[in-house]
This record gives sequence, C-alpha cells and structure tokens, in this order.
Amino acid sequence: MIRKVFGKLFSRLVKIESDKKCDPETNLLKDIENLDLTADLKANLHRIKQILGDSPDVVIRTCRIGWKQEICLAVIHIDGLVDKSLVNDDVMKALMLEVQMVDRKENLKGKHILESIRDSMLPISDVKNVKSFADFFDSVLSGDTAILVDGSDVGLAVSTRGWKSRNVEEPASESVVRGPRDGFTENLRDNTALLRRRIKTPHLRVEAYKIGKLSRTDVEIVYIKGIADEKVIEEVRRRLRRIDVDHILESGYIEELIEDAPLSLFSTIYRTERPDKLAGGIFEGRVGILIDNTPFALLVPSVFAEWIQAAEDYYERYPIGSLIRLLRIGALLSSLLLPSFYVAITTYHQEMLPTVLLLSISAAREGVPFPAIVEAFLMELSFEVLREAGIRLPRPIGPAISIIGGVIIGDAAVRAGLVGAPMVVVVAFTGIASYAISGYTASITMRFLRFGVMVLSAVLGLYGVMLAVIAITAHMVSLRSFGVPYLSPIAPFNVRDLKDVFLRAPWWAMFKRPRLIGHNEPIRQDYFLMPRYFTDEEDEPVHERRDHDD
Amino acid sequence: MENVKISGIQLFLLIIGFLFGSTSILTPVASAKNDAWLAVIIGGLGGACLVWMYVAIAVLNPSKTLVEILRNRFGKYLGNAIAILYIWYIVHFSALTFRNFGEFIVTVTYPETPMVVIIGIFAALLVYAVNSGIEVVSRSSELFVPLLFVIIIIISLSLITTHDFTAFLPLLENGIKPVLHAAFEFATFPLGEIFVFLMVFPHFNKKINNLKKIAAFSVIIFILLYLWSIFEYLFVLGKDLLYRANFVPHIIASLIPNSNLEPLIDIYLIIGGGVKISICIYAAAKALSQVFGISDYRKLVTAVTTFSVVLSVWVYENLLEMVEFAQKVWPYYSIPFQIVIPLILLLSSYRAKTD
Repeated sequence: MIRKVFGKLFSRLVKIESDKKCDPETNLLKDIENLDLTADLKANLHRIKQILGDSPDVVIRTCRIGWKQEICLAVIHIDGLVDKSLVNDDVMKALMLEVQMVDRKENLKGKHILESIRDSMLPISDVKNVKSFADFFDSVLSGDTAILVDGSDVGLAVSTRGWKSRNVEEPASESVVRGPRDGFTENLRDNTALLRRRIKTPHLRVEAYKIGKLSRTDVEIVYIKGIADEKVIEEVRRRLRRIDVDHILESGYIEELIEDAPLSLFSTIYRTERPDKLAGGIFEGRVGILIDNTPFALLVPSVFAEWIQAAEDYYERYPIGSLIRLLRIGALLSSLLLPSFYVAITTYHQEMLPTVLLLSISAAREGVPFPAIVEAFLMELSFEVLREAGIRLPRPIGPAISIIGGVIIGDAAVRAGLVGAPMVVVVAFTGIASYAISGYTASITMRFLRFGVMVLSAVLGLYGVMLAVIAITAHMVSLRSFGVPYLSPIAPFNVRDLKDVFLRAPWWAMFKRPRLIGHNEPIRQDYFLMPRYFTDEEDEPVHERRDHDD
Repeated sequence: MENVKISGIQLFLLIIGFLFGSTSILTPVASAKNDAWLAVIIGGLGGACLVWMYVAIAVLNPSKTLVEILRNRFGKYLGNAIAILYIWYIVHFSALTFRNFGEFIVTVTYPETPMVVIIGIFAALLVYAVNSGIEVVSRSSELFVPLLFVIIIIISLSLITTHDFTAFLPLLENGIKPVLHAAFEFATFPLGEIFVFLMVFPHFNKKINNLKKIAAFSVIIFILLYLWSIFEYLFVLGKDLLYRANFVPHIIASLIPNSNLEPLIDIYLIIGGGVKISICIYAAAKALSQVFGISDYRKLVTAVTTFSVVLSVWVYENLLEMVEFAQKVWPYYSIPFQIVIPLILLLSSYRAKTD
C-alpha cells in the first residue's frame, strides 16, 4: 500500500518533470556520435581541437619523423593522466629514433606505417586501434596516448595511464584485528588487481562497462564463471545497461539505480571496502561490481544476514567467531528496540520490573518533568547530532567533541533534571550497540527505524513494539535481492545455510555454498576435512568424493 | 493466479499458528471442567477427521481453490451462491477473531484504550502483510510461529512447582454429556476452521501427497501441545477456576512466581491471531475475487478487512456475550460450513474421480 502511494507520488513528480522537456546534453554528445577518423591528419586535429577546446592540459604534439622527416604524425594525451616517463621514454623515443632507423633501412614511405609502428616498433604491450572519435576520446580522456598518422584513418591508443592515486591502505570503515589490512582504493585497476591476487582461477571474469553520459565512468562486474548464477549475471548486466544518467561519482549512484527495493529503508545491495570480503562473496557465487573512483565495491545478491557477518568471524577460530556473532545479533536487536522497551515498560508495564529496580528507576526519574518518550527523543536526538558532528569535524577535534558530548552533556542533563540517569544509560548503550553491527548501512537503517518503534511504544506500549517488529519483519520478508529472498536462510527456512547466520560453522563443515546463491556449483569442498590425528600404521583415508544430496 | 509457492515447513507453521490463534486466549473445552483433557482427545479425533476430509478434497481436486471446487461440483450458479455464503462465514469468522483479540487486549492490558484503535492498528498491519502476498505471510510465520513453542515451554516449565497432579480426578464427574459437548466445540473451534486452508493449499509447492503428511503432522502436534496445555491449566488452576476464568492462559502466565511474564501471552496472541486473521482475510479476498472474476485479490483486501473490523466492533455487546457465542452458537453455526458442504464435496469429488 505504502509502495502504491509512493509509487504514484513519484510517477506524478516524474511526469511533471518530463513535461518540461529539456535535455541539452544530448545535443552535446551528438557531435561525437557516428563520427569516424579520416585519413587527413590536419582535418582530424582540427576537429579534435574544436571538440576539446584549448584546455591547457591537452597535449597535442605534431611531429615529422622518419629518415627524411616525411612521415607526419600527432601524439595526443592529457597531461596528468599519463605516465610522463612512459610517454617520453618509450612512445616518443620509439617514434623518433626507432622509426628513423627502420625507415633508413626499409623506406617506410607509402607503406602501412601505422601497422608497422604498432607491430614492430612500439615497446608497449597494450596498444589498441581506434577508428571513431567516440573511441578516440574514451581512450585519451582515460589516460591513453593516441597516435594519429597522416594518411591513415585508424589511430593507435597506447596505454600509458598513470596518475597520482592513493596507496593501498587499511579500510577506514571496516577494520579488523585479525585479517588482511589492504583495502580498495580509488583506482579501478588496483582494485581488480587486489581481487586477482586472491582469486587466481582462470574462470574469474571481469566485464567492463562505461556508465554516465558525461562522466564515462568505468564500471566492471566480476564473477567466477560456472559458480555465479547466469541469471543473476544477466540481470546485473541488464540493470547496468539501462542506467542512463549523466554522471556516476560513487558506488551509491549505481546502488540506487539498480536495487530491487528503491522505496525501502533496507539496502538490498552489499557494499564493502575490503577485497577479502568481496572475494569471499565471489567465491560463494555472488557478483561483484567495481566502480572507478571509489574504494567501495558492491556485491549482489545480498541477504540481510550479511550485515551481521564481519570479515573477522571467518578468520578467528569458529567458536570465537560464533560467539561474537551472537553478541552482534544482540547488539543489532538492542540498537533497534532497547529505548522502546525502556519507554514502554516505564510508561505502561511497570509491573514487569522487579520492585527494587522499579523503585530506583522512579527515584531517578522523580525530578524529571517530561514523559519517558520525550526524554528518550531528547537524548537520542542529541546523540545522533553528536555522532554526525564527530564524523564531519576535522579529525583532531572529533574525540574532544565526543568527550564533551558523551560525558559532559550526559552528566549535566541528569544533574539539570532534564532526563533520568537510566535513560542516559539506555541511550549510551544503544548508541554503542549500533556501532557493533558490522554493516554501516544496516546500523543507519536500525537507527531510523528505532525512532518509529519508539513512537509506537510510547503510544501502545509493548503491544506497539510487537506490532512494529511484525511490520518490519513482514516488510523484510517481502524484499528480494536479485531474486534471492532478503531474509533468505531464515525465511524461507534452510537448515544447511543456517551454518553461517547465527553461528559460524568451522570451515571443514561448510562444504556447500549457500543454496540460493551458489546453486550452480553447490559443492565447495569435500566432506571429512576435519583435522584429526593419524597414526603411522593407519594411512590417511582417501575419501571418495560423494554426492552431497540434501 | 499469481505464481506463489509455499514450502512444507511454511505450511506446517501456518497451520500451527492458525490453530493456536484464538485458543491462545479462549479455552474451548473449559465447559467440561476436569474432564477437559478427555474432551480434547475426543474432539481432537473428531477434528482430525474433519481436517482429513478437507485434505482429501484438496487431494481429489489438485491445484483448485475452494471456490473452483464448489463451482465444479455444484455448477456455476449454485456453486457461486455457496461460495458467497462461505465468504460471509470466513469474514464473520475473522471478525470474531479480531474481536477476541481486541477484547483480550482491552480487558487485560489497555483498559482505557478504545477497542477499535487496537483492532484498527492491528488490521492495518495485516492489510500490509496480506497485500504483500501469501508468501510474505508464510515467511513471517516461519520467523514468528516457532516463538509460540518457546513461549509454551517457558510458561509450563516455570509453573512446574505449582502443579497439583491429581486435579483431573474424579473422572467423568458430571457424566459424559458435557464432555461430548465440549469435544464437539473443540472439533469445530479451532480444528474445523482448517477448511479456510482450502484457499491456500493450491499454493503448496510439493507433491499433493505430501499435503496429507503435513496436515496430519501439524494436527497431531497441535493436539498434543494443546493436551499438554490443558493438563497444565487443570493442574495449576483446578477445575473451578478453569471453568470460570475468561482468559485462562493469561491467568496462568500471571501466576508464574517471582516474575511477570504476562506480555508473553500478548506476543503469543499477536502471532497466533495475526496468522489466523491474515489467512482468513487472504481466503475471503481471494474467494471474492474468484467469484466475481476480479484479476487481483489485492484490490479487495482493504475492503474485506475494513468490513470485518467494523463487524467485529458491532458483533457483540461485551466479553460475556462473546464467550457465550463461542461456546453455544458457533459450533452449530459451523455445521453446514465445516461438515455438511465439505462432506458433499468429498463424496461428489470421489464419485467424479472413480467414474
């Protein structure tokens, strides 16, 4: 119903917008479309200058090379996007010296100069032909160096990409105590390399897309052929292809444009900064989406359980991983429900508390002029503001603010009689608990929902809390992510996949991939990998690979 | 028809949740006093026969809903007419469940809140769930119904010290008649109400023969659990209190020493009642859409729910009338819908099959 209402509202808005009819950027792109390079170098250069304008970072070097300086060519690149030493030492040197020497021996004039340069003189591995202006600009503006030769209607794009980028560092949003410390960077190639270093199977596939009419952002989808579900891959391709925006600055753009439930508070696409996490997902049969210029990669299909799985669960021994995961589920629930429980119980169900506790709570709240819900809102809102301030502030000031906020405001509010001390405890615990959830997106969702649940609890007590929980659950079970139900191993229920939800089973017990995601190639490893001691007489038994049937 | 499938475990949990729906607050066999357990056994057997009959109808008419079966057997006009009667019965029945629910919450937890608010908010939630599809209802039941088992176990274990294990004696103190009456009551409420599932069975995703197993299994589990609860009620409350109390499970929960677990019963009720009413609303809306040839049942869900909420507020004057109705009128009112028409359907489907 909500969907219907919102859907109608949105379509109305879209209609109003589309009635205005304005799309200047299509004209902007028209002049490049369907335009091929010609054999006349001067005409080509003229057109290039016309389209690019005279920006200072565009380098167009025309030169005459060969033994008798009869070969006219132009080298074009964007300063700053190319590795200068590569361009000078390899490309220019080859063109000027190598060509001259070969020309002296063989007299290149009148032959296929471009082909011979490409095939035998240019000491660079990645060289492509470009025929149209669209390809030409895509290459040059991505950092390639283009070589155009007079008399040839084909140009060369030499890969000389090299620009200042951040080193591989520890991911800021997902740190671990045990586990690899490298994180994705803003450079797409570095990111695929990080992934390749973990997945060396030849079946790893990387497919490239360019999305954004103006930004022409590189987007690549990564999966293991044979393990990932073909239907999911095709669905990802289809959804990426239908994106028609003018720019992509971050993975969030892509996420919003391809997700299944655009009107939901829950995110049905997982995002991570950790190459090991992305690799783990790809090994399970998921599809990764890497986007240039952002360290955040996307992973689909995604289920809710992923938000309570941290990378570390899999690196620590399984009892520790499991217990910590249980703790995290507790944190998730209390970050959603704890303030509402407090409000409901102190407002409606005082009889549920043991008498001693009830007395101390009412003593603490004696001087407080507000009802519990107002108290809760005051504290929760000030906590949210503090957190937001802590993130935005310059780094050295951040801790100071949190000390002022947490200790001083909390304490002073109690002394001033604005809130009761138990409320401060509840809010502080809730705030900390929301950080224990491994997915930042999930913790934001829980924070939003918390306020709704609090309102219901103030109006209807525990009955309201229960209704809110049922409503949230009914919403969550109705979600799907690329065909996979969002609460997948729990509802629809699947015993085998529960190994990796509330607990983390040891690696020797997880011999199958998740049923709804990796069903193409369900068997991950053999049974009986549990380590045990073998005496000398007894050889290590060789187990036949059995059919694992459900 | 929308292509939605329900797995075996989901169907099992739906049936369990449905059966525990109103029995979580009302005790249908209480009129048999200390022979209530006997009534549960006899009524359970009778009710199991009824459920067997419904399942047999579903097996004989695979992937057909109740409305389609009725039309097949009785012809278009008579079939539609009977289907409309059934729709009325289902809507009435969901209104009664709404009322049970609201009456309980208003009496026990929120005496100053108007009942229509309680029922209305709950109804809005159920409309959302049913509008999202029967799949959502069944998946939610997968998450919540297991809680029922946990609650039953918690409550009965925490009361183990207050049991009086001789409370069911003497046997048949008032003769067999009240026992049989209570048994009949138990067979029609809640077991006979399973006929509503004739609208849901076509969504079952496995072979139709598995349906028998699942139905049998869930009914047996329910009867055993209910027998356990009835013994527990008897042992804790004794026969008189069992007979007189309005909301037995609530009293039981409030007797738990040293703690106050009453809200557990609220949870119990919201889950059970939620499953029951959403199945009813789904069945009524679906049947209505089939009778009148409307393509999507979702268009009717809000209307059906609104009607049944209004009906639920009007239908009784007070709590006592509700209890009286559930015990005295409901069993007889149900006879044609739960026994007579299904029996005719079964026989005629059987004859059609053998011919």
